[in-house]
Amino acid sequence: MIAQLVLSLLLSVVLIYAWAEYRRSPIVAVLSCAVSLLGFYFVWIPSHATRVAELFGIGRGADLVLYLWVCISLIVLLNLHLKLRTQHELLTALARSIALANATLTAESAHHAGRARASSVKEEQPS
Amino acid sequence: MQNDRFSSIWVVCPAYNEAGAIVPVVTGLRKAGYHVVVVDDGSVDQTRQLAAGLATAVVGHPVNLGQGAALKTGIDFALAQGADAIVTFDTDGQHRPSDIPRLLDALVRNQADFALGSRFLTQPPNMPRMRRILLWAATLFTVATTGLHLTDTHNGLRALTRRGAAALRLRQNRMAHASELLAEIARSRLRYVEVPVTIDYTAYSLAKGQRTGDFVMILLDLLARKLYR
Repeated sequence: MIAQLVLSLLLSVVLIYAWAEYRRSPIVAVLSCAVSLLGFYFVWIPSHATRVAELFGIGRGADLVLYLWVCISLIVLLNLHLKLRTQHELLTALARSIALANATLTAESAHHAGRARASSVKEEQPS
Repeated sequence: MQNDRFSSIWVVCPAYNEAGAIVPVVTGLRKAGYHVVVVDDGSVDQTRQLAAGLATAVVGHPVNLGQGAALKTGIDFALAQGADAIVTFDTDGQHRPSDIPRLLDALVRNQADFALGSRFLTQPPNMPRMRRILLWAATLFTVATTGLHLTDTHNGLRALTRRGAAALRLRQNRMAHASELLAEIARSRLRYVEVPVTIDYTAYSLAKGQRTGDFVMILLDLLARKLYR
């Protein structure tokens, strides 16, 4: 009973996480939600877990729940990776903006290309 | 150098630790008469200092972001300068400035917005076998995912019209940008054409080029983009 309560608590946290993530990554949210609900089902009806486990050749229902937990961990890991990418995109936008603001043009090119963004670049004389 | 149709041609050269090759590359392009913007992608060697004395403009990322990010920065810069044609050109010395007029002519002749260099339309280049296999697999992948019929999907030498460049939404910072660029061309529904170009493989360019593991990372990057908004 204690193990069931602890697992249910953890699975509830995953469900809340999935709900919070839905706007940013629907696929990850739906996957975590589905696997968590499956986890709930097997945690509270272990006899079904054992039957399904036997069907898949796993052996014990407890092992099936463990595997489900591994799946959830992997999905959350994937989501963290994707979040990191989003942060990197923000960093890129910032770095690009700094780079363009500090671009160095020769006077010759400024004359040719001139009109659009002459105010945002530092000019230097050609060597 | 001017083309009949294009009055302002900018060559974008993304560079990361290219101190060993950048001087002849930029000098060759400047001698041919092009505006050259070198995008220094956070190099830790003398790339930026060497380029500053030669290129028309130098734009420097404060940190290393990747070749895709550098290309996008260079394209944005060239557009802001009023470029009506933009050429992307690798800085490791594998491309020839003499191929650029053919790309620009192809844009005009075919009324296209993208002219993509292909090393396989001429005599097959003398490249390592593994690289040939990987490029062939990349070509199959591109045909399957974009519907574009190309012979060379990872060639850094391309010419874009202003309209074509403005239509591209590039988000991949690293090597997956080449596949993303093709996906964007397909999405834009603008006309593209392949043009034969020559790649000069040197020990330097091969050492700087992609490795087998990079292709796995490219696939992961492209998959991640599909999963995340």
